[in-house]
Amino acid sequence: MPSRTGSHSPAGFGRSAPERGLLLLTVLVLLEGSVLPLGAASSPDISHHANSDKHQVADVGHNATKKPFPVLAVEYDRVQIPFEISLWVLLASLMKLGFHLIPRLSSIVPESCLLIVVGLLVGGLIKLAGEEVPPVLDSRLFFLCLLPPIILDAGYFLPIRPFMENLGTILMFAVVGTLWNAFFIGGVLYGVAQIQPANPSDLHQLDLLPCLLFGSIISAVDPVAVLAVFEEIHINELLHILVFGESLLNDAVTVVLYHLFEEYAGVGTVTVLDGLLGVISFLVVALGGVLVGAIYGILAAFTSRFTSHTRVIEPLFVFVYSYMAYLSAEIFHLSGIMALIACGAVMRPYVEANISHKSHTTIKYFLKMWSSVSETLIFIFLGVATVDGPHAWNWTFVTVTVILCLVARVIGVVGLTYVINKFRIVKLTTKDQFIIAYGGLRGAIAFSLGFLLNQDHFPMRKMFLTAIITVIFFTVFVQGMTIKPLVELLAVKKKQEAKRSINEEIHTQFLDHLLTGIEDICGHYGHHHWKDKLNRFNKKYVKKCLIAGERSKEPQLIAFYHKMEMKQAIELVESGGGVKLPSAVPSTVSMQNIQPKKPPPVKAAERALPQLPKGREEEIRKILRSNLQRTRQRLRSYNRHTLVADPYEDGFGDLLLKKQKMIELEKKIKEMNNYLTVPAAPPDSPTMCRARLASDPQAYSVKPTSDRVPTIQVDLASPQSPDSVNLLDEFRRAEQPRGEAGPDQGLMMKPASAQSGPNKSREDDESRDQQQKLMRCLSDPGPSADEDEDEPFLP
Amino acid sequence: MGSSSSDMSHIPDAQELMQETGFSAAHLARLHERFEFLDKDDRGELSPEDFSTVSELAMNPIGDRIIAAFFSPGQQAVDFPSFVRILAHFRPTDANRSRNGRNGAQQEPANSRTNRLKFVFQLYDQDRDGKISREDLLEVLRAMLEMQVEEEQLQSIAERAIQEADLDQDDAISFDEFRKSLEKVNIEHKMSIRFLE
Repeated sequence: MPSRTGSHSPAGFGRSAPERGLLLLTVLVLLEGSVLPLGAASSPDISHHANSDKHQVADVGHNATKKPFPVLAVEYDRVQIPFEISLWVLLASLMKLGFHLIPRLSSIVPESCLLIVVGLLVGGLIKLAGEEVPPVLDSRLFFLCLLPPIILDAGYFLPIRPFMENLGTILMFAVVGTLWNAFFIGGVLYGVAQIQPANPSDLHQLDLLPCLLFGSIISAVDPVAVLAVFEEIHINELLHILVFGESLLNDAVTVVLYHLFEEYAGVGTVTVLDGLLGVISFLVVALGGVLVGAIYGILAAFTSRFTSHTRVIEPLFVFVYSYMAYLSAEIFHLSGIMALIACGAVMRPYVEANISHKSHTTIKYFLKMWSSVSETLIFIFLGVATVDGPHAWNWTFVTVTVILCLVARVIGVVGLTYVINKFRIVKLTTKDQFIIAYGGLRGAIAFSLGFLLNQDHFPMRKMFLTAIITVIFFTVFVQGMTIKPLVELLAVKKKQEAKRSINEEIHTQFLDHLLTGIEDICGHYGHHHWKDKLNRFNKKYVKKCLIAGERSKEPQLIAFYHKMEMKQAIELVESGGGVKLPSAVPSTVSMQNIQPKKPPPVKAAERALPQLPKGREEEIRKILRSNLQRTRQRLRSYNRHTLVADPYEDGFGDLLLKKQKMIELEKKIKEMNNYLTVPAAPPDSPTMCRARLASDPQAYSVKPTSDRVPTIQVDLASPQSPDSVNLLDEFRRAEQPRGEAGPDQGLMMKPASAQSGPNKSREDDESRDQQQKLMRCLSDPGPSADEDEDEPFLP
Repeated sequence: MGSSSSDMSHIPDAQELMQETGFSAAHLARLHERFEFLDKDDRGELSPEDFSTVSELAMNPIGDRIIAAFFSPGQQAVDFPSFVRILAHFRPTDANRSRNGRNGAQQEPANSRTNRLKFVFQLYDQDRDGKISREDLLEVLRAMLEMQVEEEQLQSIAERAIQEADLDQDDAISFDEFRKSLEKVNIEHKMSIRFLE
């Protein structure tokens, strides 16, 4: 059990982890609870007065009596706001840390629930201390600061292919489903409010329009909540993209309905004309948002074309352009979420072709970091706002709302699926429908929208807020906690953790062409036909504008292949690969001159490299590649038991693949052939440049050069590693007669030990040093490996 | 659509075809219309030249392979039943078709996963030796990448593809290995044309 808490905790900690974790949590919560009121306590007046006092004292000090110089002074108000913000962020992050230290908890209860509870605790503490709870879920803060990172993260890494394939279904759910929900809930609530004419209650004040407004607020599925919960249950891609896509696209509907009803709630009536205008408005909002996003996306892609000399600020462009897209859309009351999604999705393929590998990593990590913090903060704030928020509890209203939300959702999903299945090739089963209905979680967006309501126009605002919070709590707690066991119970298909292989890529492209051809023969302008046309357009015009240099002509397959190889190569080098270079290589080459922890030589390498003659370059690359393969072997043996799984790890079969390659390479070099298994790209190909520049200079250590001509040495792992023996055994076993069962031994290898025998087990000391480096490097699993990155845009 | 039912009389062996391929009468009629449209000289058969009139096929990298797939080896003409049989591979799978529905010769329908994969396999395997050799794969890659890459790169991609898929080390991809490498791809979905529903 303790070992699951990850590589962070050394062995001894694990035993008392649960107790310590709980203790840590309590301490933190108490800390936060006590500091925040302190902050709130320093009212502006006093501080101002204190300030002026100090000034006077300072002035007076010059002229009149000399007071002792204040060695230590307290001036909190100057830093109050940033300090409090940082404190909140710190709280959020520490909470996240804490939860993962308590292993059992995080597997039963989804994180979002725990965070809300923490928020409740903090809010309660603040209230207990007698201070006013800061209005944390202020709508401006929420919509302008907390929501965009999450949406951008979702949009940038949106798997385009499944999204586009299911776009019709998603739109149906998002638009028609949300409309149905809103009107059904609003209408029935109004009806319920009107009954019981005998006992007049508060509810009678409720008009139809406010009810409809409430319905439209509460009916929208929330992307933040969906992301938070669905991420932990790992369901299959189709369901994930359906629910998630719906939560993103229903923003347009929500925006229009909200503004429509808010506008006219004061007036009291909505005419048919208004309805019609509403429909037009919806189209404008949705398409306008997408357009704005696409424009900014293209701008970002275009800008990234010229960033080859200023690699450091590349990620900044991605973030700023996206944020601008969001804000611009918000100016015109267009759908900011759709703008953000469109921006991210449009710019991604072109930006990724242009930027360096490190920038790509930066973008990925920053987005994940921000969205993670944002999400945590949102849930905590929900808890705090619950404690604070003005409440007006009305049993009828609240219970009816909760029930209606469920009922409306179920009816909506079932009804829509019936219609949708007529048009789908892969039909949605009952299980799928259940998950879609059950996954309709509400979240903070609903709350913020409710918060935005004007108290004067909507006297029932408090009641609305209470009901909204109850629904949110219900969906997040009840549905969030039970969805995982239900998924297991219903045996819903899970996500396939698979990397795309080159075979799949080739065959998928082949099938695309095939289907396009068949469609043409049938005279049918279908899905594939238009996709093909779009691809051609993209290749012919768009790529030329937006992608720098030669990459614009690179076919999809080649780009994919390069990416795969590059990933492996970089990962090998960065994890402390022992690059052995013979003395035949001239000293101008970067590798030898790069000392650990010295950035400047990298620059020299940059400039030195283009001067090398082409033949030399090929040689170097050949050596590099072969040595990387050797290191790969060593890596293998460390990985399996001692380290956390490397996200780039391929199957065991890949190791044998490399082994095979190496053997062939040996043969080839022995024959003095000049072919590489991966051919040398032209020297200034951006692909190779990126590999060179991106490789961490610290990974290279100065090695004593051997005095021989470049040869490949099969270097098996040091005997210390427990798995090195396995490796040897496996190679030996491979020589045995074929026909052995077992998936691992499917790949039989040509007997190689004859050559490798005498060269075995050198560099024992080296490998020990390497081991530490490897452990440090590989202990960071990073954000969950995004297989979607491998998927080409518009394949 | 209503008038199409009257065209059934023009189609020879319509009932057997419908039974065999699973197409409905309406679909069969539509396909017949298309067949007649392509059949410019009204011979009741299609020749390779008839297919070439479809302009988009010329732009398709594997257009010639697709056309060749319609013709049995050695033949230069394809009649309507064969035309329909080939297209039956792309019919969407019926979820509701009961397995035990028909008695007698319970042949696997043309649009089963295996048969679809067999069709694609034959497109790769032009020399019909039952395996996709390195040469076959290189041909396909050359066609798809349309001469934009160097021969070396093609070699290495083909090399890697074969190494990944080839389980019995015979330096070629057999049908079973081909099927295995595509196990994660939803073939029923990918190879369905909604028109043929």
